[in-house]
Amino acid sequence: MIKIKNLQVSIDEKDILKGIDLEIPKGEVHAIMGRNGSGKSTLANTLAGNEKFEVKNGSIHMNDVDITEMSVENRALNGIFVCFQYPVAIPGVSMAYFLRAAINAHFEHQGKEEMDAVEFLNKSKKILSELNLDDSFLKRSINDGFSGGEKKKSEILQLLALNPKFAILDETDSGLDIDALKTVANGVNKFNSKNNSTLIITHYERLLEYINPDVVHVMVDGKIKKSGDMSLAKEVEKKGYSWLLK
Amino acid sequence: MDQTKNHSYNAFKKLGYPSKKLENWKFSNSNHLKSYNVINQDQSDIDIKQYLAIENALCFVNGKFVKESLNNFIYKNQISISKTIEVEDSEIVKMSNNFQGESLFNLGIAKFNEGIFIEFKKGGKFDTEIKIINVYDKKTENMFIPVFNIFKLNKKNNISIVEKNVNNGLDSFNLRINKFICSDDSKLNHTMIFNDNTKSNSLGYNYYESGLNSIINVDSFNYESLFNKNFIQVDLNQAGGETTINTLNLTKNNEHVDNNILINHNSEHCISFQNVRNILQNKSTCVFNGKVIVADGAQKTDSNQSNKNLLLSKEATAYSNPQLEIYADDVQCGHGSTTGALDKDSIFYLQTRGIRKEQATQILIKAFAHEVIKQFSNDNIKNKAQAYIDKWMNG
Repeated sequence: MIKIKNLQVSIDEKDILKGIDLEIPKGEVHAIMGRNGSGKSTLANTLAGNEKFEVKNGSIHMNDVDITEMSVENRALNGIFVCFQYPVAIPGVSMAYFLRAAINAHFEHQGKEEMDAVEFLNKSKKILSELNLDDSFLKRSINDGFSGGEKKKSEILQLLALNPKFAILDETDSGLDIDALKTVANGVNKFNSKNNSTLIITHYERLLEYINPDVVHVMVDGKIKKSGDMSLAKEVEKKGYSWLLK
Repeated sequence: MDQTKNHSYNAFKKLGYPSKKLENWKFSNSNHLKSYNVINQDQSDIDIKQYLAIENALCFVNGKFVKESLNNFIYKNQISISKTIEVEDSEIVKMSNNFQGESLFNLGIAKFNEGIFIEFKKGGKFDTEIKIINVYDKKTENMFIPVFNIFKLNKKNNISIVEKNVNNGLDSFNLRINKFICSDDSKLNHTMIFNDNTKSNSLGYNYYESGLNSIINVDSFNYESLFNKNFIQVDLNQAGGETTINTLNLTKNNEHVDNNILINHNSEHCISFQNVRNILQNKSTCVFNGKVIVADGAQKTDSNQSNKNLLLSKEATAYSNPQLEIYADDVQCGHGSTTGALDKDSIFYLQTRGIRKEQATQILIKAFAHEVIKQFSNDNIKNKAQAYIDKWMNG
């Protein structure tokens, strides 16, 4: 599904990713843990196609197609989705308008007819209910005045509505209370299937306990330093990151 | 009135055409207006049937009121109407002192012959909006068309007025002077739609006087004007008065739009809110000169002033000058101004959901406009403005 080879990325001439090699097969959930500044969010933004991040070397392949130079929207239309750590607020654009525009962009790309308003509402209301969000959420402007928890739930709402092939969750657990964390984890588990792949970026093990990833990686200074199973996450939680810096 | 006109003409002669040294004209050039010196308000060869057919509309052709439009006016028995020039009560025709220092205001007063004074009767019910249609259609180039209209709302009157210009492609200088007297507990919604074609020049002096607990909503939506300078002054003279001014200007090419707004909080417990948004393309220019003056004793004033400019071209220019003068100590006042291009992070966010960059850009432009359109007091105008933006962006 996703194959990242020797990915080297810089921002404002500063090298952040220094050669990432990562392969996530279809149907698997991987997690990347790491300290602040280790390059986790840079990886998420680079996978999304953010032009602020310059790919100096290496490649990203999705289903054997090289997407390293692909435009942001074409990556999305081909199935890449990032749940952002700090999604922007856009006053004046309702969640309903935005979500429907996004769904219809995907439908158009797939050669399907536009989703009609009734079908859209039914689909959205079902997901909203799963995320313990009121229907009125759709009337609000994108992330405008949202609490930290609502922002994360909004990202999961979009994830479930667009059902991408490859999802990257960038610190989706940060700032959540335990109830919101469970709701978000349930949403991610609902998304995960044998037909897609997920990369969870986090500082802590607590979200992973609910999602139970297949592989856990630890990133140190722009590289994957160690990979293992869930026991690696528990070890990091217990010992911190300093033992991996040596 | 003759004495007032003489006085105004002398003031104009003394002041001359406004120069850029004046604060109100710092960013607006008046030189080109000098050539519009022929007053000809003849309406003999204009076919106005289509305008007379519009429900509840009062039509003006080249500034001259068309009496036949009263035939379709459902409130004709609930108003009294006369020519402004024949009004003898000096209090009714008295305008803002601030306008007295404006040379072109004085020119308008000195030269106007046309315009009406409408008084809405006490106890009248005015549920349907009243349209004022200004048709400019004379086949004479370089016309100068001054008009002075006065609207008096009596106690508890609730009036919605939509003023629209229709210009059929001629090069003219349209000078509108409006006065609105809003008595106690009255409510006025005044909507101005400027879609003069790109050859016309529009200058407006709008003066609003509020009574006790009166509400004054002024909305304006402007597009396709070569030169449009609009003065709005609201005097909140009695306690409990409220005013909201919402403006959306869409400019492109070499168009120039200037909004000059003054709100005088002269009494306590009054509220004012200004929201002026400009979206600029090409080499167009927008000016915002907004001032709120809270007088000594106008305690518990609540005022907010916001001007936001969205530049869609590197060659477009926005000048913003929000000002507050506060002489009372127990008030809540805020103001702010922003000018910039579309937010790249917002475009990126929409793109990450599969929305093409062009569509993302359009969504964000519409969202910027929507933040003021949703505040408009008239639902018809809300819908028209929202729909028009697509055409403007793609035109």
